[in-house]
Amino acid sequence: MIEVNNISKQVVTSEGTLDILGQINLSVAKGESLAIIGPSGSGKSTLLGILAGLDMPSSGTVAIDGEDITAMDEEGRAALRAGHVGFVFQSFHLLPGLTALENVALPLELQGIDNALETARQYLQRVGLGERVTHYPRQLSGGEQQRVALARAFACRPAILFADEPTGNLDTGTGEKINDLLFDLNAEEGTTLILVTHEKTLAARCGRRLELQAGRQVETLAESV
Amino acid sequence: MLAVKMLLRSWRGGQLGLIFSSLVLAVAVVTSVALLAERVERALIKESSSFLAADLVVSSSVPIDPIWLERARQMGVRTAQKASFSSMTFAGDEEMHLASIKAVESSYPLRGAVKRSTVPFATDELDIEVVESGPQPGELWVDSRLLPLLNIELGDTIDVGDGSFNVSHILIEEPDSGSSFSAFGARILMNWSDLPASGVIQPGSRVSYRFLIASSEGQEDNFDAYVDWLKQQLDVHDRLITPDEAQASIASTMDKGRRFLLLAGSIGVVLAGIALALASHHFANGQLLQVALFKSWGISANRVRKLYFQQIILLGIAGSVVGLLIGWGFHQLLISVVRDWLPITLPAAGSRPWITGFATGILCLLGFTLPALWHLPAQSPLAVLRRDTQAKSLNSLVRGSLGVLAVAVLLFWYSGNLYLSMAILLGFAITAGASIGVGLVLLRLGKSYGHWMGSIWRLALSNLWRRKKPSLVQMVGFSGAIALLMIMLVVRTSLVDEWRWQLADDAPNHFLINVAAYELDGVKTLVNERELETAGWYSMVRGRITHLNNQPPTEIAKNGHESLRRELNLSWTTDLPEGNKIIQGQWWGSENADNNSNNLAPVSLEEELLHELGLTLGDTIRFSVGGLTFDAVITSTRSLNWDSMTPNFYFLFPEGYLEDYPRTHMTSLYIPAAEKLLVNDLLRSYPTVQVIELDKIIDRIRTIVSQVTRGLEMMTLMILGCGILVMFAAVSLSMTERLQESAVLRTLGSSRRLILGVQWVEFTTLGMMAGLLAGLGAEFAVAMLQRFMFSLPFSWHPWLWIAGPLGGGLLVGLLGVVYSRRAVTQPPLRVLNSL
Repeated sequence: MIEVNNISKQVVTSEGTLDILGQINLSVAKGESLAIIGPSGSGKSTLLGILAGLDMPSSGTVAIDGEDITAMDEEGRAALRAGHVGFVFQSFHLLPGLTALENVALPLELQGIDNALETARQYLQRVGLGERVTHYPRQLSGGEQQRVALARAFACRPAILFADEPTGNLDTGTGEKINDLLFDLNAEEGTTLILVTHEKTLAARCGRRLELQAGRQVETLAESV
Repeated sequence: MLAVKMLLRSWRGGQLGLIFSSLVLAVAVVTSVALLAERVERALIKESSSFLAADLVVSSSVPIDPIWLERARQMGVRTAQKASFSSMTFAGDEEMHLASIKAVESSYPLRGAVKRSTVPFATDELDIEVVESGPQPGELWVDSRLLPLLNIELGDTIDVGDGSFNVSHILIEEPDSGSSFSAFGARILMNWSDLPASGVIQPGSRVSYRFLIASSEGQEDNFDAYVDWLKQQLDVHDRLITPDEAQASIASTMDKGRRFLLLAGSIGVVLAGIALALASHHFANGQLLQVALFKSWGISANRVRKLYFQQIILLGIAGSVVGLLIGWGFHQLLISVVRDWLPITLPAAGSRPWITGFATGILCLLGFTLPALWHLPAQSPLAVLRRDTQAKSLNSLVRGSLGVLAVAVLLFWYSGNLYLSMAILLGFAITAGASIGVGLVLLRLGKSYGHWMGSIWRLALSNLWRRKKPSLVQMVGFSGAIALLMIMLVVRTSLVDEWRWQLADDAPNHFLINVAAYELDGVKTLVNERELETAGWYSMVRGRITHLNNQPPTEIAKNGHESLRRELNLSWTTDLPEGNKIIQGQWWGSENADNNSNNLAPVSLEEELLHELGLTLGDTIRFSVGGLTFDAVITSTRSLNWDSMTPNFYFLFPEGYLEDYPRTHMTSLYIPAAEKLLVNDLLRSYPTVQVIELDKIIDRIRTIVSQVTRGLEMMTLMILGCGILVMFAAVSLSMTERLQESAVLRTLGSSRRLILGVQWVEFTTLGMMAGLLAGLGAEFAVAMLQRFMFSLPFSWHPWLWIAGPLGGGLLVGLLGVVYSRRAVTQPPLRVLNSL
């Protein structure tokens, strides 16, 4: 489903060209889960951005469902992302002026789905926030905010979910609960999951792991659990 | 519609409050001023019509052509004829008086009304009756003073020419009574149909005819067509008089008031524009994450652009509609304050003010909000992962230019006045330029030397330097707002000062003219006995023009201009009288007054008269004074200040040319209502003295001025509101960052005093710098406005340079502290969570 072929990423700084990623090759099948791990600054989030079509590699190709997204322009990539891709972020990225329900409904409304609010309400119930739909992000704890973000990501029924350090801002206990929820929903929806983390336990729950060090692919471990 | 949903959610989230209120205020200011200005203007035209007693008047030295009357009748145009002349009136065998008589048709007046009474010198409204037509045949309505002059009572009969008439009423005021120095004697109104029987008008009689016309209800088009036709018929005998010319002195006050309203409105628009620009900038920053999310969800840039554009249009429509309503309400409030301006009801406004208001809303959004949001569709979706990949906002030069363009279009369209638009734009540009240039230097100096002033100052001044970009943007906002408010206050103060003399209770309200030398002492004694003070006595000589450039004026020229037919008042002076301004040529100094070899007297002419007589500088005029003639050469022309209640002369000579001719004297003085009968006593003892009564006109000006002033005060308050809004917008710009920093400092144990102290010092410093720079821009703009728009003399305003920094520092400091108080009154975590 996702084919990554020898991608690299360089950026130009005042001190010369900097290699952020190099020679990454990867293939992720439908329904698989992949953890990208590595120390800070190893290029995990950059790779995630490229896989999701948010960023472009300096060389190499990325194909989703057989379509080479590196050959597309931004509009083409946006069209591919629409309805296919969901995101969960470390800092939740909920819109502060919207209630939990509206935050979840917004991407559905943008897609023109008719019963956006009803769908959003169902997903909030699934993440255990059925009673908090009218609450604003500032009235929710960090864990609750990330649950809203999970509901928002899954409500669009994406084929692929990208998660960037989904528990990075949460304490261990809360993080565990979020992880459980993430994997439960993933299993129920049959979503392909690609997540970035530096937590070994979270990575261990994924079907495969890709470890990066200084932008280089150290190893890709096959199904270990 | 998703855009509506998004808009409502943003509204609920409080992100749109400032944009919306700036927009509403811009529209409300423009609408209220435009509505008021248009309604007052329409009323003025109507009111001026009543001063003319008609919509339009043709003044002629020959009787009105019957064809004009016939054509008017066919086209449904209302008409009235009037003849003015001087004629001797007799009561019994002994008493007589040369009266100024107006014979009017029964349809007179076509506009306005005549005030009459049965009580001589009536001032009490209860004694005065307002009627819509003149006297019946056989009746005369006469000036109060004719009664003592002819020693008669109401109901007595007097003779005019061959006819005998019943003096039935006292004539208090007719719409077109005027206040001309050429109106001789007591006024009498008689019926037109009595003219033939009285035989007062003979071939060769000096008669001024007036043909009054007015539109019939609903037949304005016919009227316009008739006027077009009539204009073709006019020849050298005829002159068209429009309502504008009818009441120059009041019109001038009203015009300045109107210009001030325009100025205040324009400043309001610019202020609201700045507030809108700042608020939009703030709003756009808050939208970056949302747009990045949208794009990560696969929403195309085009769709994002469309969504925001739809929101702007919706916001524009909603804001404009609310603004129109508030503007309408405010204009009603203004009208309730100035209702006494005009005794007539204000006519309804046309559609223009509404269109202007609505267009202001849309234009403001296009000029200020759209550019601020322009970069949003270009926001990279990667920003959801990396905060440092924000879209670059539109180049600030481009954004600034678009804003300036919008303001320029608005200003010019709105005021229709290039000088006003330029003055405000340049004043603001200078302030903004200085804010950026000088502001940067001041901030740098503050940072360098702040460490000498303790920890609060050191921290505050280095914060300002660290945040120099937003600091400068804020400074432009603050200084712009302060400068515009200063401009408005200074112009308002100058206008009110200029009008103050008119408001003075003892401004001269009567002129005594034609006082003969042998009467002078007696008249002075009479005035002194009443403990009244004159504005000084002026000498004058009455003479006629017999030749222009050594040629006698043709009959056509004589018919064409009154000055060639009647006696003129010639006076002399060494110094240019106050309120006079030399337009062409040179005023004589004391040394060169008699320095010409041709033995020609130098004469200075009123500028318009020079053109009307077809003369130029260096031409000669021969005057005849009591049968003696002398030649004069035109050495200069002057403009006169008709607002002033001091004597104005069309012809002025240097000393040494007229003193040997028989001279008369004149003065102006204030006669209180209680002493009004002085006029009576004076005229009884000195029947040849002419008294011009301006008390009613002055009362009227005084009322108008005080009402206009009150209107200006209200407008000033509203604009101050706009200014405060700009300050709010500017303060809120950096507030998120400030609150964040303060919360962190608070978490680290900093005291309330330190945190608020830092905010106070930062904002006060910004406010003081802005106030100082605003003084610069305001001084420039005021100089321009005074020179070109209000014809006021230039003056420095040192208080601007003191009040600016002090007021700016205090106001901005207070606003900043009030805004950032949250940082110390709430737990730091809650503050951080709410950002």
